Amino acid sequence: MSIHSERKIFGRLQVVLPFLVAGCAGRQSALDPAGQEAAEVYHLSVVMVIGGGIIWLTVIGLLTHACRRRRSAWSEEGAGRLIAWGGVAFPVIVLFALLVYTVWLMPSIRPWLGRAVAEPDRIQVIGEQFWWRVRYPAEEGLAGFETANEIRLPVGERVVFSLRADDVIHSFWIPSLGGKMDMIPGRTNVLSLLPTKTGVFRAPCAEFCGVSHAYMAFSVVVMERNAFDDWRRKQASGNRPEGSKGERLFTHHGCVGCHSVRGTTPIAGLGPDLTHFADRSTVGAGTLANTRKNIERFIRDPSAIKPGAKMPAFDMVPPGDIAAISGYLAGLR
Amino acid sequence: MVIGWKQTTVLVLGAAVAGLFIAWSGLIGISASTGHWKVTDWFLHWAMRSSVRTAAIGTEVPPFHDGMLPMAAGHFERGCAICHGSPAMPSPAIARGMLPVPPDLKTVIPGWTDAELFQIVQHGVRFTGMPSWPVTEREDEVWAMVAFLRRYPELDAPSYRRLAGHAASSAHEPGRTPETCNDCHAPDQLDRDSLIPRLDGQSQTYLRDSLAAYAEGTRRSGIMAVAIQSLTERERDALALHFAEKSAFDLQTGPPPAQVGRGEQIARFGDPGRRIPACLSCHDRENANPAYPRLSGQPATYLAAQLRLFANARRGGGPYRALMERVAANLDEQDIDAVAGYFFARKPIVVEGASRSGN
Repeated sequence: MSIHSERKIFGRLQVVLPFLVAGCAGRQSALDPAGQEAAEVYHLSVVMVIGGGIIWLTVIGLLTHACRRRRSAWSEEGAGRLIAWGGVAFPVIVLFALLVYTVWLMPSIRPWLGRAVAEPDRIQVIGEQFWWRVRYPAEEGLAGFETANEIRLPVGERVVFSLRADDVIHSFWIPSLGGKMDMIPGRTNVLSLLPTKTGVFRAPCAEFCGVSHAYMAFSVVVMERNAFDDWRRKQASGNRPEGSKGERLFTHHGCVGCHSVRGTTPIAGLGPDLTHFADRSTVGAGTLANTRKNIERFIRDPSAIKPGAKMPAFDMVPPGDIAAISGYLAGLR
Repeated sequence: MVIGWKQTTVLVLGAAVAGLFIAWSGLIGISASTGHWKVTDWFLHWAMRSSVRTAAIGTEVPPFHDGMLPMAAGHFERGCAICHGSPAMPSPAIARGMLPVPPDLKTVIPGWTDAELFQIVQHGVRFTGMPSWPVTEREDEVWAMVAFLRRYPELDAPSYRRLAGHAASSAHEPGRTPETCNDCHAPDQLDRDSLIPRLDGQSQTYLRDSLAAYAEGTRRSGIMAVAIQSLTERERDALALHFAEKSAFDLQTGPPPAQVGRGEQIARFGDPGRRIPACLSCHDRENANPAYPRLSGQPATYLAAQLRLFANARRGGGPYRALMERVAANLDEQDIDAVAGYFFARKPIVVEGASRSGN
């Protein structure tokens, strides 16, 4: 390979590399940790990659050396020593050190810390086809509440999740904070996380759960304690009835049979809770941006957006009514 | 002479050509007036009986109940009596000229089993004028007819008239359609066990949607298809208005059954864990979409039958039909009976001059 073409490849790499690395940062990346658990896993990965790289280079170097044509032969004793040190002692020491390191990491990335927190004080997350039911516990005079497809957390405080599923196996994973952990029907798994940076993160379902598995995600908003408290209070008190046309139509067409807007409708408990819906960033559990047009699209035919969605199509509802209901939801702050 | 394959071929081809020639010549009579030869008549009947017997093998017979009879009797009067006669009109003159003459059912029914009657009513009989049921997916209607036929031999004219309602006692006069509807749907003839719904209390929208669905085939029913076959769209809308205006129905309902049973539980709260929403989040509530039917006071057996049809995606209906298919599929048999019983008992309080059409 000529020097010229090597330069060309290197030049191209300089152009492409920033994009490749940029893919590692952002809202859904385990390589850009924003939580203690994700950071531990990230450090472990870095140690493994660098250590593995050094060992690999050494072995390849030795191999190259052994293949050289003019070199003096080793004595049998010397070769034996090399095998004993390089082939037995070295791997034993390295593997033992890695074992100690990972065992030492385990308590902080796996939940036996979380078991100390009683079930009622945990945030319950229940995987459903194809969305996330989230229940916050009651605390300090504030009522517990149910929400969906969005989890908000105060920065710098340890949280404990109870993870369940009612239909099939899902998996809970917030790449920026930590996880992943399966949600298994008939079983409660416990996961503890400590967010260390504020921000908005994306969390996809990490276990194939049906045709719309790829459209099943939630957003995680890590906030300062004060902002979190405000949000928590607002959630606990629900929405106030506003008497609008959209609100009336929401009842008129029976949306309330599955969806609740706490404070204005009875608790339905089937589909995602829609209280303060306008505060969420997405429609359809991470599928579409939360805009009025997208809400309309979703109501008209959910399965066209999320195949296999349990919500039936409402394309028989007059377009004006759908627009009014979408406007109502888009305004639920 | 030895008969070889050449002679055989010539013989067969010759017979076929001769047969075609005779048919072409028009010498074979097809007139009904002359009747069959005795042997032809015997053979055709024998073949028909054998065919029905074989087709009926493995047919499961559901239990019969008295609620099946009025619905079937009303349809019998409209669809069957014109050929077979009825206890109120023995031996119709037109049918006497048919070949075969439609049998007097009083004498032939005891010769058939329930499963065989089902086969005949559901599928009809080729070359006889006996049609199949107007729709294929309503076996429940056909079974109601079989239950009625089982009783048929013991019916006299008055008891038949009682079952079939007004239809059996008066001509189908033009301009009297609402009375014709009431032959079957009159509320005072309906009870818990009826398969026929009450029309009073329904909104104009629901009645109009339902009649349109029957006419367009999105709600499948052999009985209703025949009942409304002669109506124009304008007449259907007028009927919807007529019955909605007659409604003296208030959202208030009588006291529900004393104990909170499974039916009330599902009606009021649903069962979220099993993906069953509360019935009352759409039905029988204030500010409800008038396209959603009112359920309170409807015969329990009718409601249960409709829920089973929804669960099997056989009911169809107006533009909102797909919603109930999803819900009903999650109800089990006990849920269906419980919830149907609850709504029957939740009779609407009838108030003079109460809310009209629901629009």
